[in-house]
Amino acid sequence: NIQPPEKPLQAEEWNRLRESFQSPAVFEEVMFNSMIRCNSPIDVAKSLLTHVAKNNGDIGYNLLVKYLALCVQQGQTSEIHDVYEIMKTKFKILESGAYNLIIRGLSNSDQWKMALTLLEEVKKIMIPSRTNYECCIKAAGRHQEMNLAFELYREMLTKDLVPTLDVLQAFFDFSRGMKGAELQKELFGILLYLRNNQIYPHKMFMRSIKLWFESIPGGNWRGQLTNIKDSGQCPVCNHQLEDSDLTEEEYDNLRERIIRDVIHGTDTFRKTSPQEFEAFQTFVENRLPFDIVIDGLNVSHIKPRKMQCENLFDAVNCLAKDNARLLVLGRKHMLINSSNWKREIMKEMQNKADFFFAENISEDDAFLLYATLRSGKHCKFVTRDFLRDHKACLSDSLTRHLFRKWQRGHQIEFSPSVEGKRINFLPAFRYDCVVQTTGDTWHIPYKDTFEEKYSYRVPRKWLCIQQK
Amino acid sequence: MQSANVLLKKIVRSSVLPFAAQHGMKKDLFPLSRTLSLSLCLKEDNSCNPSEKLDLDAWKKVMKSGLQEEVSETVSERKELSALAAARELLEMWRLAGRSVPENISDEQLKTFLECPSKSAKKKYLRYLHLKELYKKNDKRKMDEKRERRLESQEQASKTDENKRNSFVCLWANCMDRAYSWRVAQSMIFGQPLIFDMSYEKDMSVREVANTVRQIVLSEGCNRRSVDPFHIHFCNFKDDSLYHKEFIKHYREAWGKLLITVTDQCYTDVFPKDKLIYLTADSPKVMKTFDHDKIYIVGSMVDRSIKPGVSLARAKRLGLETAALPLEKYLLWNTGAKNLTLDQMMQILLTLKDTGDWKAALEFVPKRKYYGFVSKPVHQLQKTLNLINTLKLGKRQEEVQKQFAKSYSKKLTQK
Repeated sequence: NIQPPEKPLQAEEWNRLRESFQSPAVFEEVMFNSMIRCNSPIDVAKSLLTHVAKNNGDIGYNLLVKYLALCVQQGQTSEIHDVYEIMKTKFKILESGAYNLIIRGLSNSDQWKMALTLLEEVKKIMIPSRTNYECCIKAAGRHQEMNLAFELYREMLTKDLVPTLDVLQAFFDFSRGMKGAELQKELFGILLYLRNNQIYPHKMFMRSIKLWFESIPGGNWRGQLTNIKDSGQCPVCNHQLEDSDLTEEEYDNLRERIIRDVIHGTDTFRKTSPQEFEAFQTFVENRLPFDIVIDGLNVSHIKPRKMQCENLFDAVNCLAKDNARLLVLGRKHMLINSSNWKREIMKEMQNKADFFFAENISEDDAFLLYATLRSGKHCKFVTRDFLRDHKACLSDSLTRHLFRKWQRGHQIEFSPSVEGKRINFLPAFRYDCVVQTTGDTWHIPYKDTFEEKYSYRVPRKWLCIQQK
Repeated sequence: MQSANVLLKKIVRSSVLPFAAQHGMKKDLFPLSRTLSLSLCLKEDNSCNPSEKLDLDAWKKVMKSGLQEEVSETVSERKELSALAAARELLEMWRLAGRSVPENISDEQLKTFLECPSKSAKKKYLRYLHLKELYKKNDKRKMDEKRERRLESQEQASKTDENKRNSFVCLWANCMDRAYSWRVAQSMIFGQPLIFDMSYEKDMSVREVANTVRQIVLSEGCNRRSVDPFHIHFCNFKDDSLYHKEFIKHYREAWGKLLITVTDQCYTDVFPKDKLIYLTADSPKVMKTFDHDKIYIVGSMVDRSIKPGVSLARAKRLGLETAALPLEKYLLWNTGAKNLTLDQMMQILLTLKDTGDWKAALEFVPKRKYYGFVSKPVHQLQKTLNLINTLKLGKRQEEVQKQFAKSYSKKLTQK
């Protein structure tokens, strides 16, 4: 590791350093990198640049960019300006790295409007990155130019750039205490963006939202943190949250897409065969509707020490209350008498539930989805699988969101205490975990931590906002 | 900045340590001579006061001088840039910034670059071109060095004059070629067929097709040099397909003279169905022995983005028997997918055909993919597995291990 000097050096001192360095060819680069790392004073960097310029009569682009990075790091606006001027005269265009730095540097200074012109320049040669937009939006917001900020935000969305949570949060922070129906509408739009894309804000972001609501002049909004009851009722305002049922149209759409993308895909033979799928379809049509569809093989592995058919038997018994109509999906090998699959137990189960056995090399999960969707809105399914691979087969994000929404409301999972003797199930969610509003109330689920580790895990904490 | 960081890391790793010593961090770690010379340098540092006479902005003057004339040109030129030229300039700037970008790029490659759907795809493509360029340069350098060495040795040889006399005229390569061709011709009449199924073009990207063809060319080479070659069939082969173009790139005129059978028919039309066995890693059935009366089919596909079940689906559709290599039975698998490259498959099949020895055949599986051969009896294997698992999982999960060992041995006995 190489330490940059603390004071500007003379040419001969640089020379000496350079000669004692292992590979003199990259000396300047390495030196600059460590200057950036140690945040050295820019006078030191300048002295090195001067040395290079005097020796070679020119400074390479990469060194200029590195110097720029150092200036940005320390907020040296005039230097950023100078470097940009030099770069502009020397090169026809710049590349993304330099633009990123200049935009970032200038947006944090009082010359932030210059960052906007640079953004225009970037647009001529490529699509700006989302951080480019983020810098400009934040700069505009910081100077109370909310219209401009929203314009940039919309432009970014039309370019299919996904805004960072930071930008969204910034909008709420900058609008705090500001008046205007138009502004309010825009911010509600952001909340709806969260809803449509099933994004959950983190704690800090949630706080910004709460503070903004409470700061609206004459709005009389009050926010409170809460946990929603299992019934789906908010303990603060007693409002019943919406359920995750899809509309008729969405339902049909999702079913069609599951058949097309998940079951058939590029080749029906990959997951099943046309004959088998047809046989399954007629089987389901003849016995509709089911209340619960069970992934037999998945359930049979809940407790590894028990015989597999016993596990399944327990699960079927547990779910068969209230005359619920059950469908168990399995594979043909379950019918062969073996140490794990006893014929008598299988026989007994078949009295309590309908069974469909797929070929051993077919995928039964796809059938599970089809049967559940075909049975209607009330039908639930049981599996420990998160079905991520099936969600991934769906080709557009809209359908994937529909799928997630439907899955949240219709998947029955096992209760985590598997240690006990009996098998227990967690009922499917009665309410949908998503940002929602009724006009005079808002309910916003939020994550405790910033990191979103598991896409299938939904937050249990909520922000309830109501207008008094 | 990212590329700069990567660069930094690379360089830092190889950079010299004495600079740390300058600030007295690890001084005592260094040999004495080093520290001495440095301390000398340090002393001088303190003695003269550098910032006094330094003009820190001198570099700006240097950069700005002599640029005035060019400015007017660049402004007028800027408007005339076509998309390609603009991309070329952008690449040049990236290269200057130290990203992995090729130095020279053809218009065709530039078009492919522009057609990449996303930024990361563009980056990947550039990196690929960059590496390709590097390899090419290295190869060329090595070739040049070799040629020089050869010339030198020839000079020396000519000095010492021809002392050697040989009873054979030196025509080795030619003779071997003829012998090989004779064997392959023989196999085309009497040999066992081996089918490459060329119907996966639409499942692959252009680069994957190129890789596939390369692997097939290698396989064909192995087959030609073997003692008892297969009679290779390319089935479902469409003229003017991507496969075809790539083959011609590799073989040139030799493509028409290859001793293989190429047909656009499906193998089910050429051979009786009950003799065909489709080899696929997804098959539930495991191959026990190599059958000299069967006709094996290998799917000509490279799937970099893993697409499970594509070839199994094809076999299912045609109602063919399938088989997978008994990799788990003979090898303690480590990492990596179970699908092997086409030339590895060819080597394995050739060895099986000649010897029937699984151990010898599976030597061609890449070593990184497995720990070792399963040579011990099952109960000993259980012990080692238990040991591995206790080391991996700790003692608590002994139960799990037992279960695992049990199921593993069961799998072994089933096969």
